Amino acid sequence: MSVGHHVRVDRRSGSHRAAILALALAFGLVLASGLALHASSARAQAPGSAPDAQAIERGRQVLYATGGCTCHTNYPGEGEAAPALAGGRGLETPFGVFYSTNLTPDRETGLGGWSQADFVRAMREGLSPDGQHYFPVFPYTAFSGLEDGDLRDLWAYLRSLPAVKRENRPPDAPFPFSWRATLAGWKWLNFTPLVFEPAPDRSEAWLRGRYLVNAAAHCGECHTPRTLTGGLDRSRWLAGSRDGPEGELAPNITPDAATGIGEWDAADLVWYLEMGLKPDGDDTQGLMSEVIEHGYANLPRADLEAIAEYLATVPAIGNRVRAAD
Amino acid sequence: MTRPSDRSVLRRPIRRALPLALAIAMGLAGAAAVQADHHEGAVALKAAEQIAYRQSVMSIIGTHMGAIGDLMKHGLAVPGAIETHAKLMAESAALIAPAFRARVTEGATDAKPEIWTDWTKFQTEIAEYEEAANALASAAASGDPAKIGPAMKALGGSCGGCHKPFRKPKEESYKNK
Repeated sequence: MSVGHHVRVDRRSGSHRAAILALALAFGLVLASGLALHASSARAQAPGSAPDAQAIERGRQVLYATGGCTCHTNYPGEGEAAPALAGGRGLETPFGVFYSTNLTPDRETGLGGWSQADFVRAMREGLSPDGQHYFPVFPYTAFSGLEDGDLRDLWAYLRSLPAVKRENRPPDAPFPFSWRATLAGWKWLNFTPLVFEPAPDRSEAWLRGRYLVNAAAHCGECHTPRTLTGGLDRSRWLAGSRDGPEGELAPNITPDAATGIGEWDAADLVWYLEMGLKPDGDDTQGLMSEVIEHGYANLPRADLEAIAEYLATVPAIGNRVRAAD
Repeated sequence: MTRPSDRSVLRRPIRRALPLALAIAMGLAGAAAVQADHHEGAVALKAAEQIAYRQSVMSIIGTHMGAIGDLMKHGLAVPGAIETHAKLMAESAALIAPAFRARVTEGATDAKPEIWTDWTKFQTEIAEYEEAANALASAAASGDPAKIGPAMKALGGSCGGCHKPFRKPKEESYKNK
């Protein structure tokens, strides 16, 4: 499986946003002169035909591979009765609290007015249908690596959800982190669409594992430490972060024996992702227990084995993740 | 004999006695302080012992979970083992509430004060754990893998029934400081 698609990021200049861009510069973000916000463009409306049942079912599997898009369901605030994927969940980050958005097909408050092309652009480029930048708490950085077919199927699944009317909430974040214009700079610094290098000597399972870990399951978004500007520190990929979402510690999941999961064998990891139980019998806490329950645990065994096969081969990095004093 | 000399006669022993009294007083105070230190030390030790015992009880349960995991994830066939582990876990439920009865929240512990402010819920969750362990024992006795997997998952979930409300998250754990 070669995942060789290259995502084109349109960087046409939009003069009406130039002033905002200049201000972003003043906040210390290094911006390339050619970079600007995406201008709003005419788009096709959602096609009227209903997606077929098989696409919806495949889309459900993609949803599981993402961890159930659990950030978009407000379990902490509303418990198991929370409307599925209707957003409103506060995600605490070092830059403020960001609220997940309504992914249901409600026309006014959800994705009801979106086309498939809008959805694909949001996932691949972090741009809303009207060209606004999404806050990178939405991991389009990883989802940019999703295959066309998976994106189409996931879209079909989302369109099959019951529509829930729920307004999106603006972030509780201090300026300038609440300001979307600065995100152009953030993207320039920290976002490169994910493209997988060919790896002809690797097994199908390894390639599938690489795709799942880095694109769909977006493990690095929590488990990779971030730089000062909030980008992923690629030199310490999956080495754990004390600034995980919701203020959680995200453990080191590289194969380092002392500080990572090097002592876990493939069966331990598959068991963990299926059951949420660690080799010592302890259960899983926080957001990870949710993404297992609503996501990874529902994947086919072969996918979990693929994840285990791939994770065993990422560079081992010594990094003990502890809470700040 | 004049009054002044009388006075000096009278005063002399007092002058001698004063330092002595002070020394005794200081000695007593010191001894009391030592006593107090020793007393506090004894209390701390008792709390630490209680924490250690609670953690031993939890670790017994966790070890059974780990052992069942070892059997299931590696497909090890040890006749009757899963059922026995599950029964022992159900029995271990009776150890939990007595181990936590004394309120000890300070020290190397992740027990949250909510255990004692919401003791009824704590006991309800323990009962659910016991039920889930018994359900796994029954599933294991049936020998049907289609029943054992979900029963194990439910038992794992029952750990969270207590851990989510009553155990400090890892961000606040004494282990990660």
